[in-house]
Amino acid sequence: MARSAGLLITLSVVVLLLVALPREAAISMQPPKLEQNTHTEPLAIIVNRSNAVNDLTMVELRKLFLGGRSHWPNGRRVTLVMRAPGEPEYKTILRDVCQMDETGLRNHILHSLFTGEMLVSPKTLDTPAGVRKFVFNVPGAVGYLRLSEVDDTVKIVALDELLPEDGKYKLRVEVAHAN
Amino acid sequence: MQIPSLVSSDRFRLLNWITSRRSARIILPFLLMLLCGSTLPAQEPGDETAIDKHTVQLLMQRIDQLEARVRQLEADKQEAGAASTATAPGFPVARRVDSLESTLPVQPSPDTLKQALASARIPASPAQSERSQQQKDMSERMDVSKTLLRIRGFGDLTLHGDTHKGDTTSFSLGQLNLFVTSDISERFKFLSEIVFEGGPDTIYGVTRGQANLFTTDIERYFMQYSPNDYVTISAGRVHTAIGFYNTAYHHSTWFQTTTDRPFLFNFEDRGGILPVHTVGVSVSGLIPSGRLGLHYIAEVANGRESRAPLQEEPVANVVDEENHKGINLALFARPEAFRGLQVGFSVYRDGLEPPSSRGVEETIMAVHAVITRPTFEWLNEGVVIRHSLIGQSKAYNTPGFYTQVSRQYGLFRPYFRYQYVNVAKTEPIFPDVGLRHGPSAGIRYDVDEFVALKFQYDYTFLRQQPGIDSLSLQLGFTF
Repeated sequence: MARSAGLLITLSVVVLLLVALPREAAISMQPPKLEQNTHTEPLAIIVNRSNAVNDLTMVELRKLFLGGRSHWPNGRRVTLVMRAPGEPEYKTILRDVCQMDETGLRNHILHSLFTGEMLVSPKTLDTPAGVRKFVFNVPGAVGYLRLSEVDDTVKIVALDELLPEDGKYKLRVEVAHAN
Repeated sequence: MQIPSLVSSDRFRLLNWITSRRSARIILPFLLMLLCGSTLPAQEPGDETAIDKHTVQLLMQRIDQLEARVRQLEADKQEAGAASTATAPGFPVARRVDSLESTLPVQPSPDTLKQALASARIPASPAQSERSQQQKDMSERMDVSKTLLRIRGFGDLTLHGDTHKGDTTSFSLGQLNLFVTSDISERFKFLSEIVFEGGPDTIYGVTRGQANLFTTDIERYFMQYSPNDYVTISAGRVHTAIGFYNTAYHHSTWFQTTTDRPFLFNFEDRGGILPVHTVGVSVSGLIPSGRLGLHYIAEVANGRESRAPLQEEPVANVVDEENHKGINLALFARPEAFRGLQVGFSVYRDGLEPPSSRGVEETIMAVHAVITRPTFEWLNEGVVIRHSLIGQSKAYNTPGFYTQVSRQYGLFRPYFRYQYVNVAKTEPIFPDVGLRHGPSAGIRYDVDEFVALKFQYDYTFLRQQPGIDSLSLQLGFTF
């Protein structure tokens, strides 16, 4: 009796999971609809000025953010700079680059550090000035800022051969209008 | 009529109370608070002045920082000057800050400071910033009062009961794992897992040690040298790169979906049949292969101890029992076109020298195809362990596999696993394992960010024995 009940539970779980499989495959990370009183601004990917890299593809950027690549071509170790969770820039990176939610990214980073695949944990900074300063000081750093917050202390890299000023640039952060 | 008298008597009592020492303790602080309260508005002359004071404070801090930087740069300049008498190119930032200092009045106004600092905000050259960072890193490393260690902990508690004869339903303290890492330098990293776990150990089917006694194991302990993405060299005690599970999951149940590892990948001291740990050198990295995402792992290590005579420790941590080294080669792909997919294989070769036979050649072949995404996972692995008796044509093949699928629904994650291992009765290394296979089904509930509760049912079919039903409730966490 107990055995048949156990097998029934098992069978139910299998059916449930198999039903879920196509759903999972169909999930895509669509950009959210714009709310009223908001507009979008390009989110620039920035690196240290000594970094020779000028262009990245979205796949390469995803690898950098998820620990798939740990070194720049010049051998410098990649140091990731993140904005604090909850910031619009952070949400954009989660949705468009990492393609996972906050918990998923946190668990992924923890797991990658645990397996040794990710060499160094990302640095979280609260302000755009902090991000600029960190990227300016650390040769292997890569981070992100709204285009209006970028100055000449850091270097913007093109994404899929498009600069943030280009109309078709993919990374855009939702910004509330100032009243 | 009584009211005035009451009032007058109350007034008299009030006067007495006011003049008493007891009342003074209450009234004085109260008056002091009133006084402070009344003075507070007087301290708010205007937002602008307050902001200016705050700005001045910030700017003064900034000046302090710049002065410190100037001192550091001047020291560097002197060193460089001592090394070479030629005219030094100088440090633009230092000169800039020098000039800034000279332009600053004794008590600068906020506007003057803002202008001066804005003009000084000229970036150093990349080489200078790099050098500055290196100096900062070096000074931090030279500071012996700071530790380079990072520690993260993992643990679990399980309530387990099953129908196996002789087993009792028990609360079990799981492994307490201290995951200790250190970024020694940009290219060198140290990683270890120090695990405290309760006994007894079950090595090659034989139980040793006391049931409730805790022991300490260094489960992983290695140095990693990583100059680029194509070569990473690790030396020490690592998890052997056989298949997927052994390199993806280590000594933490919190990371795992299920309450336990698949039987195939059980730890050696928990009755596992694979050399899960090994001591030696490993080289791994990317293979330039574009969108295919090929990776390689090559390992040379001591391999495992033979089962007989029974060893206290199945991993050759310090001394190998023979000169022959275990070799493992693994290749896997993570194609860009299919997010979360990893397919690969590995081949492991070692020689075992149990006293009961002339020697055994061990070959372990493993293949895997897994999909791991934040909300979905499907793990599939198959392993064949081949033991060939040296000098005889006889060989024993032990097949094993498992499949595991799970899907996240909010905080809940139901999962299912089926596992299978079939060891021949006459197998020279672990005949006691026999045939065992069966399903596991359960659900994981993420109670909190770093706490998971799991409930799991297992049914295990055994050869010529009654099957075993078991239930587990586990609390896994990281801290």
